[in-house]
Amino acid sequence: MAATATPEVRPDIDREEETDSSTALEPGYLVICWNDPVNLMDYVTHVFQVVFGWQRQKAEMHMLQVHNQGKSVLTRESLEKAEFYVHQLQRYTLHATMERDQE
Amino acid sequence: MKFIQARQDQLFFEIGRRERSLLGEILQLYPLVSPAHHRLSKTAAAGQLKEHQRLLEESLAAQRAENRKNVRAMLDEPGRFRTAPPGFRLKITRTETEWLLQVLNDVRVGSWIALGSPDTEAGEKIPLNEQTSPYIRSIEIAGAFEAVFLDALTGRTPME
Repeated sequence: MAATATPEVRPDIDREEETDSSTALEPGYLVICWNDPVNLMDYVTHVFQVVFGWQRQKAEMHMLQVHNQGKSVLTRESLEKAEFYVHQLQRYTLHATMERDQE
Repeated sequence: MKFIQARQDQLFFEIGRRERSLLGEILQLYPLVSPAHHRLSKTAAAGQLKEHQRLLEESLAAQRAENRKNVRAMLDEPGRFRTAPPGFRLKITRTETEWLLQVLNDVRVGSWIALGSPDTEAGEKIPLNEQTSPYIRSIEIAGAFEAVFLDALTGRTPME
């Protein structure tokens, strides 16, 4: 028999509205690179190395993920940092976006 | 075009007359991709990141202006292409190579978008005709120059 869940009693505290600044600091944004068949594989690897300072092996692993699975989650960051990385990737005309992490 | 050697921050290439003219032609096409083409997010509601989207487009527009200035300066700089029969010797720095890659890839991606963003990896064919051939040509030429610059940055010398 499944145990009956006991309702949790929480203290009577009003939840404050989330402010812009707190949202901006939370590492709740995923930087994603999507596959564009026109980009050269070596080019994508190079851009990942330049933008994130990764070793070639790690950059290649993400490039292959983009190529084979259609996308790769490159990093999880605060809004501001995620935005910065998306700007950098798009400067190189890569198809990159930032998406709110649902987990 | 062939990568010859790297000396500190400088990269040296051997480039033929026809290749030099093709490189100039491709660089002059820049920019092809509109800043509005880039989206900050696929899932966020339109209004949610509106201000951030505007900043992205402003930043990309500023970068395009800077790259265009760099391209013009590079093509006009005396001595940039030193005569070395039967062609020229091109000298560029690693930093210059970075913006050259950005410029070349913009032309490549912009040409691909102009063709309707065909998914060639999924077998989608691009019809070859008068309208499509200039874009197909730009994609191929920009890609060929990109490959040489990438080889140079990673220190790979193409096989003779």
